Amino acid sequence: MLNMMKKMWGFSVQMLILIGIYQVGNQMVRIFHLPIPGTVIGIVLLFLLLSMGVIKIEQIEMAAEWLLKHLGFFFIPISVGMMTIGSVLVNKGLSFLFVLIVSAFIGLISAGKATQSVIMKNEKEKVNYRDHVL
Amino acid sequence: MITFYSILLTLSVYIFARFIAAKYSSPLTNPVFLSTIVIIFLLVISNVSYDEYIPAKKMMTYLLGPATVALAVPIYKNRRLLAKYYGAALVGISIGLVTTIFSAIILGYCLQFSRMVILALTIKSVTVPVATEIGRILNGNIPLIAAFVIITGMIGAMFGAKLLSLFKITHPFARGLSIGTIAHGIGTAEAVKEGEVQGAVAGAAMGITAVLTSFIIPYGIDFFI
Repeated sequence: MLNMMKKMWGFSVQMLILIGIYQVGNQMVRIFHLPIPGTVIGIVLLFLLLSMGVIKIEQIEMAAEWLLKHLGFFFIPISVGMMTIGSVLVNKGLSFLFVLIVSAFIGLISAGKATQSVIMKNEKEKVNYRDHVL
Repeated sequence: MITFYSILLTLSVYIFARFIAAKYSSPLTNPVFLSTIVIIFLLVISNVSYDEYIPAKKMMTYLLGPATVALAVPIYKNRRLLAKYYGAALVGISIGLVTTIFSAIILGYCLQFSRMVILALTIKSVTVPVATEIGRILNGNIPLIAAFVIITGMIGAMFGAKLLSLFKITHPFARGLSIGTIAHGIGTAEAVKEGEVQGAVAGAAMGITAVLTSFIIPYGIDFFI
């Protein structure tokens, strides 16, 4: 019982740290009129704090992993909003869907292929270099 | 009362959808996709309008911001890997973004979409909170942008892994990067399930895509459309 309460307390503190960083990101965007969204600043900020050792990974890991496990959930209420543009989607839905699917597939394949071929090329060069040294 | 009902409904459908997804793995059982369909259906038959659903939506999406910030954790844990492949990552993200945006614009022109629709198409690969912000700056149609972003995320989450395997893209780094670049948070949620490397790289790619797009589109938009 005590153990569980301790765990819940720890979880809440971790959550508050993440919410705090998110709010700092939002405020920075507002104050400095940055053209970047607050969440992006928040990611960079948390990464820097972790790298500098200001925040230890254990101090946020439990809450962060729980949030990431359920990341998909937070998109559901937003995606339910599609019911408001139902008529547009019914009229033009198929042609929209066609464009979205084709362009997504083209993007997925070219991003994946490009990344993989650069990785392969670099690794091959490293092997050749090592051969040369030997 | 309606708010309480909406939250309870959304949570139970989500739990149910996760249970189904764990049991039957198929693109159609993707939790975000399945939940959305079931919730819209249940709201319509119980006569709840979207306006009445909005207070519940606000409460439930409150943690989306902190959850996006939490992406720094997998990035931090895999920082050595990201540093090792940063060249490949930058090439992959840039090529992925350019091809997906341009193919969408060209197809949009061929099908004679309005400027508003084409504008929404250019930011479809950016995570929802960021895409709607860019949309606001450009006076875009916010619900349409959100719909395009979410549908794109679902396409990536549902078919991304299979498509990448079909084209022999097997490297975990390349797979995560591709899904994160094109299918943002919804794809990342799926990539996390495939493996920690994939999840971390997808999260990082999603962040970088958001930054790149929010810099490029507002300045480039008049030039392209």
